[in-house]
Amino acid sequence: MLPKFPKILVYGLLVGGSLALIPPVAFARMRATPSPNRPIHIFYDMDFQPKFKAQAPNPLFADGRAMRPIADGAVARGEAYADAHMDEGVVEGQWAVTLPAQMEMSTATLERGQQRFNIYCSACHGYAGFGDGAVNKRAMELVANAAGPVNGTQWVAAKSLHDETTRNQPMGQLFNTITHGIRNMAGYGAQIPTQDRWAIAAYVKALQLSQDAPSAK
Amino acid sequence: MSRFLFPRWSNALLPFVLVVGAIAPLYVTLLVAYGFSPKTLEGQYQPVQPVPFSHALHAGKLGMDCRYCHNTVENAAHAAVPPTQTCMNCHTQIHRESPNLAKVRDSYVTGMPIEWIKVHKVGDYAYFNHAAHVTRGVSCVECHGRVDQMEVVHRAQPLSMGWCLGCHRNPVDHVRPPEAVFELWKDTTTTWSKDERLGLINRFDIHPNEYCSTCHR
Ligand code: HEC
Ligand code: HEC
Ligand code: HEC
Ligand code: HEC
Ligand code: HEC
Ligand code: HEC
Repeated sequence: MLPKFPKILVYGLLVGGSLALIPPVAFARMRATPSPNRPIHIFYDMDFQPKFKAQAPNPLFADGRAMRPIADGAVARGEAYADAHMDEGVVEGQWAVTLPAQMEMSTATLERGQQRFNIYCSACHGYAGFGDGAVNKRAMELVANAAGPVNGTQWVAAKSLHDETTRNQPMGQLFNTITHGIRNMAGYGAQIPTQDRWAIAAYVKALQLSQDAPSAK
Repeated sequence: MSRFLFPRWSNALLPFVLVVGAIAPLYVTLLVAYGFSPKTLEGQYQPVQPVPFSHALHAGKLGMDCRYCHNTVENAAHAAVPPTQTCMNCHTQIHRESPNLAKVRDSYVTGMPIEWIKVHKVGDYAYFNHAAHVTRGVSCVECHGRVDQMEVVHRAQPLSMGWCLGCHRNPVDHVRPPEAVFELWKDTTTTWSKDERLGLINRFDIHPNEYCSTCHR
């Protein structure tokens, strides 16, 4: 038989015991809910050093970029102008019909081209190039909206790469379209390295051949 | 001078004091281990971004590939957050007048960067490399969670050293064929059998190491 404890002690223990449950629950909640109030640094260690990592801000420059944009006219390593064929898709004043000499028409090139096409082009032109990509579809819906185009959206349908006009374009012209864009399509020269743009052009040619082959019709 | 006498009930209290005395340190230790672990202090960080950009929309619904925007991820340590130009490939036309995109348009006109808030960060004394992981078959989903379902990006993993090592010691459960790295919707352990994954480890000779100088250089 337990002796009689003073009430205050019993209640104190009960309250203390239940209060002790609060921190673990609070921590469990923290673990489970996204919040802008993290990360919490208890010890700073050397987490923040006076150096600039890639894309970090730097207040010393007017535009706040620590990574300086390339100065006009400067050429990065490996991006020097090679020749008109490689960099412009032009051979003797005409659109080139082959890959530049630096590259080889091979399965590897075409596979690379397919992979890059699926990354950069399929969003609008669709995986098979018929102009049925998800972005294109959605943009058409936004334009066709009953109450007028949403937020002033304007959109010219991404062309099917199997159109009469596009199908017969030489590889160099495709390369040029990818690099500089055309009419309503933005250029991808800054986003995709030169060799990859050629690989895409080669793949588009292969795609056009495969889709337009007489047997496919 | 009257002497202080412990009341009679205090004898029965002794076992309680011992029990509480034993539990209290245990409680505090566990609480600190649980509550001060990087999972609690750093996980789930979700800052409010200047532009309400949604991965769930772009990468999920529109099915865009991560590399369309994060185009350095396969070649560089740093996974570049895209420049304004990349957004404007589409947004010169789509949602042209949306107030949500006002900052993007401003940035396009003035050339000032959009100040995205960095979500994932390891201490400045540690070295991390995207290319080393992505090209070896570690998917974005292992470290960033289902970004393609996030309206606003949050940290899905603590990014602590213990977490890095957890995978470096046991990569089997985290590798997949390199071509599936960007398919975040595939679950590594259920899509590929353990034997297949072991096969990958052997075929590509994947042996992440634990030498301090790998990450602290
Ligand atoms: C943001 C959507 C979008 C993306 C991504 C895109 N395009 Fe286009 N593309 C268009 C639109 C829109 C047109 C039609 C332009 C017009 O007629 O005004 C077009 C037209 C074209 C044409 C036809 C040019 C002509 O001479 O008529 C080619 C070829 C082409 N794109 C290739 C590509 C390739 C290759 C890629 C990948 C590097 C790509 N596009 C990525 C939207 C896109
Ligand atoms: C349309 C362009 C676009 C695409 C596609 C895209 N992202 Fe992003 N991503 C961004 C932008 C812009 C940010 C910076 C703003 C933010 O954090 O939301 C970002 C931020 C992130 C971050 C957080 C970076 C940080 O600050 O730590 C991660 C992780 C990420 N993206 C992963 C992915 C993954 C994985 C995919 C593919 C499923 C993907 N992204 C596809 C544009 C894109
Ligand atoms: C390949 C095309 C494409 C690119 C590149 C792109 N977006 Fe979008 N974005 C879309 C489409 C399509 C929609 C509209 C989807 C809808 O309304 O359902 C959209 C919608 C948005 C919206 C919502 C607009 C509103 O008012 O509802 C925001 C914000 C946005 N994008 C930001 C960005 C940012 C920031 C970038 C650059 C990192 C970017 N987008 C790059 C295609 C693109
Ligand atoms: C092995 C884990 C891991 C994988 C796999 C991974 N990331 Fe990351 N990511 C990180 C870490 C860690 C950081 C923070 C890096 C830092 O602070 O320097 C980060 C940062 C980022 C950032 C912010 C910019 C930067 O580099 O700091 C982006 C964007 C990003 N990741 C996108 C991606 C995409 C897209 C993929 C898939 C192709 C991917 N990550 C795969 C761990 C990973
Ligand atoms: C999901 C698994 C996973 C996680 C998490 C992970 N890594 Fe790795 N890491 C790997 C694999 C796999 C490799 C490739 C090993 C190889 O090439 O043999 C690797 C390689 C590396 C390399 C290059 C090693 C070399 O030899 O060049 C570095 C550096 C690295 N990891 C750092 C980190 C850091 C820092 C973190 C934590 C922020 C981290 N890793 C988290 C799986 C992981
Ligand atoms: C796979 C990569 C990796 C390896 C290998 C590694 N570390 Fe780390 N270490 C990290 C990362 C990432 C952090 C930073 C964690 C953070 O930002 O919270 C870190 C943090 C630390 C810290 C600071 C911890 C703190 O919070 O105060 C110390 C000390 C440390 N490492 C020592 C070592 C030693 C000693 C070794 C070799 C036995 C080692 N590390 C190997 C990735 C690594």
